[in-house]
Amino acid sequence: MKFSNIVSVKKIGRDFFEISFNIDSEVRAGQFLMVWVPGVKEIPMSVSNLKNPITISFKAIGETTKRLSAMRPGDRIFYRGPYGNTYPDPKGKTAYVAGGTGIASLLPLISAYPGDVYYGMRTAEDIVYKNLVNFVSTDDGSMGFKGNVVDLFIREKRKYDTVFVCGPEPMMKYFHDKINRNEYGNIYYSLERLMKCGVGICDSCSINGFRVCRDGTVFDHEQLNIMDEFGTVRRAESGRRIFLK
Amino acid sequence: MDISTVIAGTRFDNPVFLASGIVDETLKSVERAIKSGAGAAVTKSIGKDERAGYVPPIISELPTGMLNAVGLANPGIDDFIDEFKTSSLKEKIVVSIFGKDSEEFLELAKKVQDAGFTTIELNLSCPHVKGYGSEVGEDPELVEEIIKELKSKTNLKVWAKLTPNVTHIVDIAKAAERADALVLINTVKAIGVNIWARKFSLTNGIGGYSGPGIKPIALRAVYDVYKETGKELIGVGGITTYEDAIEFMLLGAKAIQVGTAIYYKDFKIFNEISQGIMNYLEMEGFGSLQEIIGLMVK
Ligand SMILES: Cc1cc2nc3c(=O)[nH]c(=O)nc-3n(C[C@H](O)[C@H](O)[C@H](O)COP(=O)(O)OP(=O)(O)OC[C@H]3O[C@@H](n4cnc5c(N)ncnc54)[C@H](O)[C@@H]3O)c2cc1C
Ligand SMILES: Cc1cc2nc3c(=O)[nH]c(=O)nc-3n(C[C@H](O)[C@H](O)[C@H](O)COP(=O)(O)O)c2cc1C
Ligand code: FES
Repeated sequence: MKFSNIVSVKKIGRDFFEISFNIDSEVRAGQFLMVWVPGVKEIPMSVSNLKNPITISFKAIGETTKRLSAMRPGDRIFYRGPYGNTYPDPKGKTAYVAGGTGIASLLPLISAYPGDVYYGMRTAEDIVYKNLVNFVSTDDGSMGFKGNVVDLFIREKRKYDTVFVCGPEPMMKYFHDKINRNEYGNIYYSLERLMKCGVGICDSCSINGFRVCRDGTVFDHEQLNIMDEFGTVRRAESGRRIFLK
Repeated sequence: MDISTVIAGTRFDNPVFLASGIVDETLKSVERAIKSGAGAAVTKSIGKDERAGYVPPIISELPTGMLNAVGLANPGIDDFIDEFKTSSLKEKIVVSIFGKDSEEFLELAKKVQDAGFTTIELNLSCPHVKGYGSEVGEDPELVEEIIKELKSKTNLKVWAKLTPNVTHIVDIAKAAERADALVLINTVKAIGVNIWARKFSLTNGIGGYSGPGIKPIALRAVYDVYKETGKELIGVGGITTYEDAIEFMLLGAKAIQVGTAIYYKDFKIFNEISQGIMNYLEMEGFGSLQEIIGLMVK
């Protein structure tokens, strides 16, 4: 476990924060850290800006993320990692399809390689990184397309050589099921699962024997074809299967 | 070169097994280990009721291995059976169970037997959960009673996994005499401290130490128990190379298990160790694996 003194904490949207700090190892696009708030919990967090001071971007939704959001410059942030595989570099015309906090994982690519950014959220008040986004959807129609970001992406009918997708698993499952595979080149998804160890030994993040923390988090479209638990079976903290509709 | 090994009458293609608690909570991961070359795979320890386990951090990486306190997270025996009963690789899957007394162990074992499995491993050794694991495994009378009950009331092959956290491991091994095989060792009870947070490294405070740093401790346990009891043994603790595996075999282990090495070398570890054992036997002029087992103790 390492620690670093926080350089900055910024509120960039409703309950949405960015914390920056220097780390002593190289991070690549798609990788994550295990961030520890002593006395509370250790949680996975994507790195949203790879150059020192690196950044994590997150929504304060529970105790750990709320405690992180209340931290101040100079405070110690504890972490281990980076872990996980990385996104490949995009080739040709590129699209980024993000849902909710999933945009954090895609930001290093978005800022390095031009492409169309599709971003879906619940409501207009949740918007972050507005100047980076080309197409917006909201569940309630308060901004952009009314509906989910996958339907928006399909409706736009644009062709891409490379597509990156990151968001809640049901959204990625819907994307995987709905799109016409032949219209796109490579499609990469960054998955998110309950993670306890982050290094591939506890099995809590596994989908069909693929550990999201170590074999992923990034998988391509064809790998997901053979994972029948993707979008259909979740795991409780105990490892018990929870079948989704 | 034949590196198959027979434990309690069951033949395994190779002597390199997956240890309990490392990538074996889900059936597909257990099957992945077997397909990657594990001679057998032991599941995560399963109890009567669902347990969420401890809040992360549940592991702490050390220069010489790792500390863990997962907290016996498991879905409970019924959900476990539901998932695992569909496997076509059952003869290579050993189900690890934990309970607080012989009644609970028996109840679990019967369900495992009814689901079509033939071998169980008894977790008498997890160092970090109150009322279970090593708290049971430190008590020779309780160990004897549990094994007697299981051997007389089921047809299962019983492997008893012992804790190194006792003064005389041979006493516990003798109490476990009726088990078909003994598995040595579980993790070494340990603590990690983070001086910059002034907190324990693990949420639970107390954890278990595994990996290269505990290999000499495990070797000592295997040697003592083999010498004193001559029982069929499976060695585990810090094995990351074929050389490590051979060390255990020379001291009496008929097979070995790898856990923390998955963290260092991932699933390719199984074939790597098997291949290394084959080359060693050939190079050193042995005709089979059998010839080196216990060679240094005779
Ligand atoms: C590889 C990876 C990278 C991540 N990167 C980011 C990131 O960059 N930014 C970010 O904001 N979040 C990210 N997350 C999610 C983040 O880890 C969780 O939001 C965090 O664990 C919540 O902790 P907490 O204690 O604040 O909330 P908790 O009290 O644990 O949870 C609050 C609520 O959120 C739900 N919840 C918790 N975790 C998840 C999850 N993974 N998916 C869906 N619902 C969940 C809980 O069920 C609960 O209802 C990532 C997750 C993974 C696996
Ligand atoms: C993360 C982790 C979880 C473990 N869980 C269990 C368990 O549920 N049951 C058990 O009998 N042993 C468990 N163990 C102990 C291992 O099976 C093994 O005995 C120990 O780690 C020593 O071997 P190693 O150095 O190869 O890891 C666990 C070990 C680790 C590292
Ligand atoms: S979080 Fe432990 S295996 Fe992925």
